[in-house]
Amino acid sequence: MISLRLTRWLLGYVRFSVVGGSPEKFLNNCAKAGINLWDMKGGAGSGGCVAAQRYRELRHCAKNAKCKLKLKEKHGFPFATKGIRKRKGILAGAVVFWIVIYILSMHFWSIEINGNTTIKTEEMLAKLSNMGVKPGVLKSDVEPKILQQKLMIEFPKISWLTVNTKGCSAEIKLQEKVDPPEIEEQSSQSICNIKAAQTGQIVSMEVYTGTPLVKKGDAVYQGQLLISSVVEDNLGFSSLRHASGKIIASTSRTLETEVELNRKVTNLTGKVVTRKSLSLFGARIPLTFRGKPQGDYKKEGMHTDLKLMNSVLPLSVYEEKWTEQKTEDIKLTREQAIEEAKKQIQNMQKEQLKDVKITEAKSTDKITDSKLIYTVYMKCEENIAQESEILIK
Amino acid sequence: MIILDKGTKIRKLAVPMQMPSHMEINGNHEVIVEGCTGVLQYDTEIVRIKMGRQIACFKGRGLVIKCLTCDSLVVTGFLTGIEFCV
Repeated sequence: MISLRLTRWLLGYVRFSVVGGSPEKFLNNCAKAGINLWDMKGGAGSGGCVAAQRYRELRHCAKNAKCKLKLKEKHGFPFATKGIRKRKGILAGAVVFWIVIYILSMHFWSIEINGNTTIKTEEMLAKLSNMGVKPGVLKSDVEPKILQQKLMIEFPKISWLTVNTKGCSAEIKLQEKVDPPEIEEQSSQSICNIKAAQTGQIVSMEVYTGTPLVKKGDAVYQGQLLISSVVEDNLGFSSLRHASGKIIASTSRTLETEVELNRKVTNLTGKVVTRKSLSLFGARIPLTFRGKPQGDYKKEGMHTDLKLMNSVLPLSVYEEKWTEQKTEDIKLTREQAIEEAKKQIQNMQKEQLKDVKITEAKSTDKITDSKLIYTVYMKCEENIAQESEILIK
Repeated sequence: MIILDKGTKIRKLAVPMQMPSHMEINGNHEVIVEGCTGVLQYDTEIVRIKMGRQIACFKGRGLVIKCLTCDSLVVTGFLTGIEFCV
């Protein structure tokens, strides 16, 4: 019904009334002549609608029925644009408009990437740009299947990828590989000894498998055999096992760090300059008429893509934030340097001495030239049992 | 085989060869007629049409001929009665 109305409107139609004579005969004449009428009204105000092009043909039918036609209303595109059609500028503008639309529709104006979790969108967009796929590229220059293959080669982490072209946007949908879990080596099947990982004095011992070669209170050096894999049974037969155990020993460790006393510190002054620009079909239009600020500034940029109905438009806003900063030379005091050194030592402890219990700690500091050397001597209790595999052919 | 007399009119022979008229009534608001040969009377309360040798008369309120072609028409409105005159 909508298409019928639209067709009638595009072709143009007129509403007329029938005066005098026999309206019924007029209708019969029209039907016989094959002229389609609609919205026909009977009685006193009889009339109807007819396509604008066929209105002239009605005259003959009316004449036969001895009635007169009176044009009441004109509707449709030909009548609505009657005044405009004479103005050549508007016609030329309309032609140019459609040409521009056609040219613009030959390009991809937005590239979307969906499904990536570990692979960065920026990284993918940069690779695509190197391949020549960026906003504004001709649709004919992009071969989806070849692009898929190239991207799969570039990013081995991708397990599945497809390039969907929809209007002026290219959507890249992908799924990343899920690495299979690493198969733990069945350590219980391999044969190994237990050796000392650190030099120290044994505090406690728990031997699960193997023959202990040391006892509680013994002093051991790094690399010394603590538990042997050779186990002798009651009958005197020897067998090789995977030795295991927990040997807690008292050890001493030293951590040292250096802190530079003379340094440069950058402070923000609070002066901020904002520059905005609009990116339309790849062309950048400045919105702020302000040049790049002179001096020492820190630059931050933010790119915002505009979306309509979940599809990225070829329109984006780029905002630059320039913050003024000042660099000063400062010299740390001894206390400040020690504080910083302590923080560094704490970080080192977290990294290097994870499972180590520190029982006692002593620290010394020394200033040489422009450095503070901070040393911490620690007494610790830790498990020094370290597996040493024996390879048997 | 049909043998034509000299005085037989071809129009008279054509009548029995025509398709019989067909009428479809949707509730009391629409009538679709096929085999209609002309409109005799058209008003908002009465529509009389010729169907070969018969005349059909539709009575009601706000009757409108929605569509009219050389052999069919559609009448819409609030129908209250249909009469046939042979």
